[in-house]
Amino acid sequence: MSNNRALKTILMSTAILLGIACLAFARTDHREYRDAKPEDCRECHGGSGVADNHGAFFMKEHRVMAEKATSNCADCHQQSFCLDCHKGGGLEPDLRKSLSRRGEYMPKTHRSDFISIHPIKATDNPRNCYRCHETGFCSDCHTRQIQRNRSGMGIKPHRTIFVSPGVPDPGWVSDHRADARRNLQSCQGCHPQKSDCTNFACHPNLRGR
Amino acid sequence: MRIIRVAVLLMAVACVPFLSHAAEGKVTSSTQYLWYQDFLSNDKDQSDVAQYLRLNVTKLDKEGKINVYGYGRVIKQISTSDEGRPELADDTFGRLYYFYLDYRDAVKNHLDLRAGRTYVGSAAVSGTIDGIYLDVRNLGPVGVTLFGGRNVTFDNKSETGACKDSLAGMSVYFDTIKNTHVEVSFGRKYDDSDLARENVGLDFSTTPHEKVNIYGKVKYDTVSDKVGELLFGAKLAPVKSFILRGEYFQSHPTFDEFSFYRFFSVNDYKEISIAAEYWLTGQYQVSGRYAREDFGGSETADVYEAGLLARPIKDLTLNAFYEKRNGYAGRLSGFRFNGEYRISRAAISAGIDYDDFRREASREGTAKKYWAGILYELNKMFSAVARVEENINFNFNRSYQGFAALNITY
Repeated sequence: MSNNRALKTILMSTAILLGIACLAFARTDHREYRDAKPEDCRECHGGSGVADNHGAFFMKEHRVMAEKATSNCADCHQQSFCLDCHKGGGLEPDLRKSLSRRGEYMPKTHRSDFISIHPIKATDNPRNCYRCHETGFCSDCHTRQIQRNRSGMGIKPHRTIFVSPGVPDPGWVSDHRADARRNLQSCQGCHPQKSDCTNFACHPNLRGR
Repeated sequence: MRIIRVAVLLMAVACVPFLSHAAEGKVTSSTQYLWYQDFLSNDKDQSDVAQYLRLNVTKLDKEGKINVYGYGRVIKQISTSDEGRPELADDTFGRLYYFYLDYRDAVKNHLDLRAGRTYVGSAAVSGTIDGIYLDVRNLGPVGVTLFGGRNVTFDNKSETGACKDSLAGMSVYFDTIKNTHVEVSFGRKYDDSDLARENVGLDFSTTPHEKVNIYGKVKYDTVSDKVGELLFGAKLAPVKSFILRGEYFQSHPTFDEFSFYRFFSVNDYKEISIAAEYWLTGQYQVSGRYAREDFGGSETADVYEAGLLARPIKDLTLNAFYEKRNGYAGRLSGFRFNGEYRISRAAISAGIDYDDFRREASREGTAKKYWAGILYELNKMFSAVARVEENINFNFNRSYQGFAALNITY
């Protein structure tokens, strides 16, 4: 069923694209401008029909451009430029970048003490965390804290409240449902296993693993 | 073993042209000492030594079409091991970020290829693979990219993932109308041979007028039968030096095919934002952004950001940024300020980060960071870097960390 829908999506998209296809335009090679400063780009791009980028919010915007098949990032940047932020590299250390608790370089977006503010920042577009981090990145810390019974973890209390054996409190169920619906991806950090959520009657016969 | 075999094969292929042509090589090395405090290791001081190495071998053929690029590091923790973190000490970890053969114009004007460990990206799926990437260009009005290989994932200082984790995809793109790009892509991720993700992506951007750019991106998750991500935006440049941007973003949490999480009902995340940036003069830029975030079930948040970039005198750059956030998940008010001043061969930098946060129904407090660093270029080949930082937050009353590095380029 899902495959049929995917196929339909591809076919419809392709049909639309073919409808507008008439001429091909090659992208501009920017290799000769590799050493130019971003502010110099405006000299050419002003009035060229293509707005310049690398502005104040380029950190948020660059993904849209970088994922295109015809992106010209490589004309100026090597892959190490990307990976030093996305995968904790540090070949050319930017002095504005800090170290994580693991001794890895962190991108500049992880300001002040990111452990302190990450529960708030992670909700600003929840997808962002997973662009660089695997799910296990969260559990490496959270699971260890739980194992050590460290009270300082400071997570919003969400342990199940039972009104009688096997019967969870309706108020807790309501809160739990609402929070899970809004931020289910973060639950994986501490509860990666199916058994973490099916040990009472709320989720019988849940599929998956 | 597979990585080593691929690396050896690539090196062998790369060396063949050496027999008839003088290639150019550039090596960038950084030898570093890093110190920090890991609160999971009972707040013990930790220190590592790391060696980064990037290798660019270019012009392996007369036309300069064949190049080899590599980047990796070796790191070792030299401090005393903590009982709770035995995996961090007594071992040396290596991480190969990429190592690939880049062959541009393998078929003139029609085919570029990369083989080895390389980053691949598309609207549908992206990641680092041990495999091959082909860009077949100028097939009439379209171009096609194809890629596939072992999916490479990195964990704490090392590499993770099984041999049978893989990633494959393709895209068809149309640069048909001037300043317009349309691309459809398809991608799959396999976890130990089991299909984990399957996405269809659509990406477009067009600049119908020099003052208007419209763009969008859709990622459709065929496993959950949902639109995983939707982005639509417009960028306006009504007057010179002023850029205005409006965006709508929507995402739906998606999970692996076999994950039990994918059977739960979830809310969409929606965000509407507007941003503006303006160069007052060539030396001063101001920027601002507002975002309204909607988490479903009447929970929302408002995010305000303001920034200033200033170059008041030659060789001095100042950055200031302020963010205020109210709403679901908590309140946040913070700023960061930093500057860099260049004196001859040296660049001195320093900065302050401050955040006042109120997490929803849990912790509140402040986090402060003070840092300073220096870069000194001894000559064209050698440079030295040092950075120190003090942190004051709920984990540490006082925590110091930093790094010192010697960089060599030749």
